[in-house]
Amino acid sequence: MSSELRLRVSEAADLTPAVRRFVLRDPDGGALPAYEPGAHVVVTVPAGHKRGYSLVEPGGARPREYVVCVRRDDAGRGGSASMHRDVTMGTELVVSAPANGFPLEPSPRYLFIAGGIGITPIRAMVRRLRAGGRTGVRLLYLTRSAAETPFLNEFGGPEDTVHHSDGHGPLDLWPHLAVPDDDVRVYCCGPAPLMRAVRTLTAHWRASRIHMEEFTAAGTGMSLPFTAVWAPDGRRVPVPAHLSLLAALRRAGVRVDSSCEAGVCGTCRLTVLDGEVDHRDAVSTEKERLGSMVACVSRAGSPEIVVGPYENEEPV
Amino acid sequence: MTRTSAGRVRELFVYPVKGLSAQPLDHTELRPGEGVPYDRRYALARPDGAYRPGTREGLSKREFYALVSDHRLAGLGTHLDTETDVLTARVGGHDVLRADLRTERGRDGAARFFARILDLPAGVTPLLAREPGRRFTDAAAAGDGPMGWISLVNLASVRDLESRTGRVVDPRRFRANVLVDGLPAWSELELIGQEFDLGGVRVRAVHRTKRCAATEVDPDTGRRDLPVVTLLDRTYGHQLMGVHLEVRTAGSVRRGSDLVL
Repeated sequence: MSSELRLRVSEAADLTPAVRRFVLRDPDGGALPAYEPGAHVVVTVPAGHKRGYSLVEPGGARPREYVVCVRRDDAGRGGSASMHRDVTMGTELVVSAPANGFPLEPSPRYLFIAGGIGITPIRAMVRRLRAGGRTGVRLLYLTRSAAETPFLNEFGGPEDTVHHSDGHGPLDLWPHLAVPDDDVRVYCCGPAPLMRAVRTLTAHWRASRIHMEEFTAAGTGMSLPFTAVWAPDGRRVPVPAHLSLLAALRRAGVRVDSSCEAGVCGTCRLTVLDGEVDHRDAVSTEKERLGSMVACVSRAGSPEIVVGPYENEEPV
Repeated sequence: MTRTSAGRVRELFVYPVKGLSAQPLDHTELRPGEGVPYDRRYALARPDGAYRPGTREGLSKREFYALVSDHRLAGLGTHLDTETDVLTARVGGHDVLRADLRTERGRDGAARFFARILDLPAGVTPLLAREPGRRFTDAAAAGDGPMGWISLVNLASVRDLESRTGRVVDPRRFRANVLVDGLPAWSELELIGQEFDLGGVRVRAVHRTKRCAATEVDPDTGRRDLPVVTLLDRTYGHQLMGVHLEVRTAGSVRRGSDLVL
C-alpha cells in the first residue's frame, strides 16, 4: 500500500529572504494522517527531487494541514530551489505520510536548542508544550541576524533566548549546559557544528536526556569497504569506505535512479539477492528491509552483497 | 654482535583509571614484573558484577565499565593526580568534577558523577574499585603475571593500517603505555619470546594484543566512529595491534629512549 498523499499548496509566503512557508492541504478538504511534534514528511518537489521537511505545527490526531518551511540553499542540489521557484498557491505535490525520528519524550522540563532552519521541528515541540500553559520550556534560538530568523516574533518570552551571531559572535552554550539536570531533556536541531558543540558540552549528562535530530538516518556512522555484485550482468563493483553503494555503482556504469541521497525517499532502492545489509535509511518498512536496500546510505553487512533493480511489488 | 637502535619511544602513557583518559608521561620508572606505576589502579566496577571490595583475583573487563561498552566515557577529559589521588574531569575545557579519592565523600561524588554519565538507573552507582598492589588491566584476567604487563604499539603498523584502508587511525585508540617508531610495520608481532632493551629497562615480548571494540571509540569525541577490529580483520586476516611486554629489570624509560634489539 502506498502511503503517498497528493496535497495542494494553499498558502506560500516568505518568512525571511531565504525561508518560505508552505501550507499543504487535501484538495477535498479532508483531514490528514496524524502526526506528533518532531515529525517530517517527504515532499517530491516539482523538479523531481524528494526532500524531507519537518512539520512546524504541533500536529495531532486529525490535522487539517501540513506546514513546512524551506530554506533556499543555492549551493544545494536543487530541491529547495525548486520549492522556492516552482511551487505557488494551487500547486499539487506528492507528499509522504508523516514519520517521526525525533519524538518529543515526556520530561519535567526542557531545553531546546535550535540553529537556523533547525527551528522547524523545535517550534512544533515548543508550541505543543506551551499550548498547555507549561513553564520550564527553555529555548535557545541561534541565527545569523534578526532578518534571517523565522518566527522571530513568537519567541520573545521569558524562557526564550534568541541570539544573532552577526555582531555578537556565537552564543556561549556552556552556562546553559554546565550543570546536568536529569529532569531536563535537551533537544537540538541545527547545522552540524552546533550539533557537535552540544554533543561535546553534554558529555557529562545522561545520554538518554540528549536528543539530536539526525536528518540523514543514523546507523553506526562507520563505513566499511565491500564488494557489490550487480546481478543483471554479474559485474563486481568494489565499494570503498568513502563511497556509497549508489556512488560506486554509478562509477561502474550502473544506472540507478535517486533523489534525496540521504536515506529518506527510497528512490534508489535495490533488490538484495544475497548477502547481509546494514540498513541506514529512514524510509524502509520492516518488510522492505527483508529483500531490499536503499543504496545511497545503506551498506553491506557482509564482505559481498548481490543486488539488482528493484521491482515494486503489488500489494497482496 | 653490534647492538644498534632499532626504534625509539615516541610517547608514554599511563591510564590511572580504567576506561578514562590517557595521561602522557615524560618518563617512567619500571620494576621487574610490574606495570607502569599507577596504571589502571582504579576502575569503575559494575555493582551487579563479580567485583567486591577485597577481590584479589583478576576479573574480565566485562566486570567493569569501560570504553568497550561505554564509549561516552571518552567524551570526558579526566586526570588523576597520582600524588594526591584527586580526580578531575573536564568537558569542553570546563571543570565538571573534582573528587579526592582518598576520602569517602570524594569517592561518593565520583561514583554519582559516573553513574550519570553511564546513564545508570536511579540508585545504581558504579563501585570505585581499588585494591592495593593490583591493577585492572585487561590482561589481569589471565593471571597476576599478565596483570603487570605493559603494552606497546608500533606506530608503523598503525600507519600501514591507515594506508591500506584510507582511514585515519589515531594510535591513541589502542591505549598503549608505549608508542614506538622506527621499527618496520608489524615486526613487533615477530618479537614474541625475545628480550630487548627499552630505554634503561630489559623487557621481553610475551603476547600479541588482540583488539576489541574499545578501539572503535574516538579518543576525543567519545563517539564510536571507526570499526577498527573489522578493518584489521578484513585487511590482514587478524585482529592484532601491538604486543604486551614483561619488564625484566628495573630502570627508567623516557620519551625518546632507544629500543635496542
